[in-house]
Amino acid sequence: MRHPFVPAVKLIDFLQGKWLGHPLHAAIVHLPLGLWIGSCGFDFAAVLGWSPEVFARLGVFCVGLGLLAALPVIITGLADWSSIKREKPAWKLGVAHMTLNLIATLTFGLNFGLRLEQLDEADPITTPILLSSSAGTVLLFISGYLGSLMSFDHGIGVARGSKDKWRKIAAAGGSNLAEEK
Amino acid sequence: MSAAKHILEGRPFKSPLHAALVHIPIALLSLGFLLDAVSWTVRLETWQLPRVAAYAIAFGIAMAVVAALPGLVDYTTIRKDSSAKKIAMLHMILNVTSLALFALSLGLRFDSLDAARTPLGALVASGIAFGVLSYSGYLGGSLVYEEGIGVGRHRRTTPLPTETVVVRSREGENRVLVGLASELSEGGTLRVNASGTLVTIARVDGRLAAFQEYCTHRYAPLSEGCLKDGEVVCPWHNSRFNVRTGAVVQGPAKVNLRTFTVEEHDGNIWLDVPPTPPKAASATPSTARSGQRR
Repeated sequence: MRHPFVPAVKLIDFLQGKWLGHPLHAAIVHLPLGLWIGSCGFDFAAVLGWSPEVFARLGVFCVGLGLLAALPVIITGLADWSSIKREKPAWKLGVAHMTLNLIATLTFGLNFGLRLEQLDEADPITTPILLSSSAGTVLLFISGYLGSLMSFDHGIGVARGSKDKWRKIAAAGGSNLAEEK
Repeated sequence: MSAAKHILEGRPFKSPLHAALVHIPIALLSLGFLLDAVSWTVRLETWQLPRVAAYAIAFGIAMAVVAALPGLVDYTTIRKDSSAKKIAMLHMILNVTSLALFALSLGLRFDSLDAARTPLGALVASGIAFGVLSYSGYLGGSLVYEEGIGVGRHRRTTPLPTETVVVRSREGENRVLVGLASELSEGGTLRVNASGTLVTIARVDGRLAAFQEYCTHRYAPLSEGCLKDGEVVCPWHNSRFNVRTGAVVQGPAKVNLRTFTVEEHDGNIWLDVPPTPPKAASATPSTARSGQRR
């Protein structure tokens, strides 16, 4: 049984985290999100004159590693979104979440360039660096909130990996079950 | 419900506060370990990597403590006999272990912050701490994506059942005494195990209704659903069912709920639970079946 779409389906399954048991996107999103928001906090600490040279280096690592991690996060997020039905409210939420995240990623890309240029200067965190990391952080707060609505309000990815386990439990408890596909 | 608990559960944000706060400590602590590892593989003499890593770890620990508080509140909302309770306990123990190891790693590098390499002991401590944190984070993912903890919780305004009421009917009888009717207020639910059949008893518009515990889509606990306008809303994917007839009002669920006869007599709740045939598991389309059962 060779079907032309089998490799594509396998790839989507992998990206959605079928092998892990939960959505892969939610597991790796901590890195860019936490690191980029952290970098903004560290910029403020540096500007306030609190070990600016250490915080500037920490900021470079935060934004740089966040950019590296962003690529798999974007791909796995797209894979999750691709199985949401168009008529569901979560589909539009996904589009807004994705758009804001792309802008935030570009913002931190720009921010990273500014950081590298300024790293060995006396004032490593300039106003453009502070402003761009702050703007990126505001974007992440909004898009992160939309992402959490997708999980916790619309249940995207919830029981995707555990539905067979729950089906057995529901059957043993005398409940009617979904029709088998 | 107190205002503090309301916010710590993340109700104004329609999602748990704990899940929103953990991004920062997870990311910073992971970065801390990564920088320790980099200090052993790449020569960056002037970068003071042990010091930069120490800052990441110190802020990571501080933010983890902040994230722990709403996490503890979430723990209290999990039903005592739920499989998620044990996972949550292990998640908590491992998080504390990981933070202790990261703190140890900070202590072990304290007099070599300006060295090119993180001392071996501090590297080993942060490495183990990172491993423990990763597994614990996986368990946190299980709590949300396998067990559904916190999913749709913001829609439910009455307290969740804290445990399952276990009752057994006498030989040859279907009727069981569940408890006092006064214990169930409007919009509230009881989760009942009646001789192995799992039933939600709810008070809707003043009257009792009884239906199967598990949603017919992905089997969410309907005793944790929201009750309004004569319907129960599934906490996970918002399927809606008529509480009296069990009929699907809105998908994604396609199959009706099994319903049961429940009555209030002299201040007591009585439930009729016909035995579940052993083959109920091999579901035939159940619209017809649920009709027969009622």
